[in-house]
Amino acid sequence: MKHPQQRNSICLEDAEILSHHAYPGDQHILRLQAPRCAARAKPGQFVHLTVDPQRPMRRPISIMRACADDGWIDLLYKRVGEGTALLAARTTGEYLSTLGPIGQPFRIKEKRPLLIGGGVGMPPMVFVAESLKNSEHQPMVILGSEAPFPFTARPSSILLPGIPDGVIAAMPLLDDWGVPCRLASQQQMPGVHQGYVTDLARHWLNALEAQARQEVGLYACGPHPMLEAVVELAREFALPVQVSLEEFMACGVGGCAGCSVEVQTENGPAMQRVCVDGPVFDGYQVFN
Amino acid sequence: MSDPRLAVDFCGLKFHTPLVLLSGCVGFGEEYTRVEGFSNRDAGAVCLKGTTGTARPGNAPHRVCETPGGMLNAIGLQNPGVDQVISSILPQLDFEETRFIANVSGSTLEEYEEVTRKFDDSPVDAIEINISCPNVKEGGVAFGNDPDMSARVVEICRKATDKPLITKLSPNQTDIAYNAKRCIEAGTDGLAVINTLMGMAIDIESRSPVIGNNQGGLSGPAIKPIALLKVHQVYQVAREHSIPIIGQGGITSAEDALEFLIAGASVVGIGTALFYDPLICSKINAGILDYLECQQLAEVGQITGSLRLNESSSPKCGG
Ligand SMILES: Cc1cc2nc3c(=O)[nH]c(=O)nc-3n(C[C@H](O)[C@H](O)[C@H](O)COP(=O)(O)OP(=O)(O)OC[C@H]3O[C@@H](n4cnc5c(N)ncnc54)[C@H](O)[C@@H]3O)c2cc1C
Ligand SMILES: Cc1cc2nc3c(=O)[nH]c(=O)nc-3n(C[C@H](O)[C@H](O)[C@H](O)COP(=O)(O)O)c2cc1C
Ligand code: FES
Repeated sequence: MKHPQQRNSICLEDAEILSHHAYPGDQHILRLQAPRCAARAKPGQFVHLTVDPQRPMRRPISIMRACADDGWIDLLYKRVGEGTALLAARTTGEYLSTLGPIGQPFRIKEKRPLLIGGGVGMPPMVFVAESLKNSEHQPMVILGSEAPFPFTARPSSILLPGIPDGVIAAMPLLDDWGVPCRLASQQQMPGVHQGYVTDLARHWLNALEAQARQEVGLYACGPHPMLEAVVELAREFALPVQVSLEEFMACGVGGCAGCSVEVQTENGPAMQRVCVDGPVFDGYQVFN
Repeated sequence: MSDPRLAVDFCGLKFHTPLVLLSGCVGFGEEYTRVEGFSNRDAGAVCLKGTTGTARPGNAPHRVCETPGGMLNAIGLQNPGVDQVISSILPQLDFEETRFIANVSGSTLEEYEEVTRKFDDSPVDAIEINISCPNVKEGGVAFGNDPDMSARVVEICRKATDKPLITKLSPNQTDIAYNAKRCIEAGTDGLAVINTLMGMAIDIESRSPVIGNNQGGLSGPAIKPIALLKVHQVYQVAREHSIPIIGQGGITSAEDALEFLIAGASVVGIGTALFYDPLICSKINAGILDYLECQQLAEVGQITGSLRLNESSSPKCGG
């Protein structure tokens, strides 16, 4: 077949910075006017950004929210090196070359998606949650961070069985959407579970009726060890799991094979590109 | 349709623009069409990813990283093998849009021969042999840095195909012009100058190389001056035999492309620049047209090799 469907799925836009806020722990939330990307973006997809002409290789950042009507996308990123430091210096009114949306999104199949985001792996989970509000799905979100959370947590208005006493802090946005949420950190923070996201997840899963537990699917984005622990948890409960991976990228559109990782498929090991074959993969294909 | 002034005859093939999308940067020809506004029609030809006799998984991550003015890569020739490329990938390409050039690699002379022979019996428009890949343990650059071996690879591939044969030269060698001469004598129809230069980046926290393969090929603007000089040197030999050159290495603008044409390239390659700007080709084409207009030239071919050297040059002195 000539001209496969994937043609023209990614847009290149000069996106104006509408707002750019810094949070403790070198975290930043960036809102870009990128109407063509916003109209197509799905949770789990990312944009490939030119952070500064001095560093013309692009940087991949997940989409946290997209508003098709107003044409903006929100990103949450952490300053970790030169590229993200240059990005942090860009100010409202400036333009960033934005390539997106890119990649395979999360495909939410189960009635009760358990969404787990760690650190700068939180953004895709927020996007999934927003896409599921007012749907027949009943999502549950667990966010973890070692840096202060890039929002002011507040006691949740949604009661959750199984969650340890006192673990009541939630992300306000999710609470407003009516999506239950709890937070975890190794650091001591009020209302936040002191421990791993997977501990909280286990509490929640154990409290579900057997029938309801079978309707759960796990979805995760975050540091590699966290993803591994989430897949272990899924294995323990024999539940499906999807994870979003990171790898260094050059083109971001499938051309260079710079981002390839090994996954296990039915036909044995295979190399897959994180940019266009992922970033979302079946967890069992990545960790086995 | 593109402007006829941009059209170039390359090894008997009509390229409708002087731009060639470089091997390893655009997968197997369809990948960049994901980007709205990108078209293979903006390029005169597209070089497919390096292909070997059997499938290769490639190197461990990380395979790419940015360095000042460019990037390092050590992909390790990840490809599904020549049979798979011919049976599953080539039928999906739209040969109406552009010319497609296969890129051949191997670890033995027999492998180069076999892959070339198989592509000869396929719809590709031309075959480029890569004797300069720095990222595989055997073959590649080991062949390319030895003029005798280079000539043997060319000779054996020449016998295996009647399609236009292009040889891609390594810059990681002392006398590229001599190597070019040997490849021409062995029967190549065209030359690609240059492939990446070997380099390294180190993470000072872990004290390990950033690239999984430890070293990688450097591409992008950082290598442009080196590439230009190599094209100039190779052109001195190639023009005597009317062998055209695909000039490449760090081109990111129409001005860069014009420099390579002036130095002696007949067409120019675009690789790393696509990572910066996926829609760069139409801009470079437009810039070249502007130049033709300003200089009152009828076609791109008139620029090739139009370099006016300064009288007082001292070729061996750098300081
Ligand atoms: C699909 C995807 C989604 C991502 N989403 C987010 C997000 O929402 N928020 C966020 O803060 N970060 C995210 N990242 C990670 C982010 O891309 C890196 O932190 C960033 O590229 C680092 O650039 P730097 O120049 O500051 O770091 P340096 O360490 O100086 O970078 C050096 C080189 O390594 C690459 N690199 C370093 N770390 C990573 C990494 N983890 N992933 C990919 N490339 C890396 C850089 O792109 C650059 O080429 C995502 C990565 C991927 C692959
Ligand atoms: C990610 C990447 C992969 C490459 N793979 C190949 C390859 O498979 N075969 C080949 O002949 N050259 C390969 N090259 C070299 C390019 O084709 C080109 O010669 C080189 O990058 C210089 O041009 P540039 O600076 O415009 O990128 C690769 C380059 C890059 C950046
Ligand atoms: S970054 Fe080039 S293929 Fe994924």
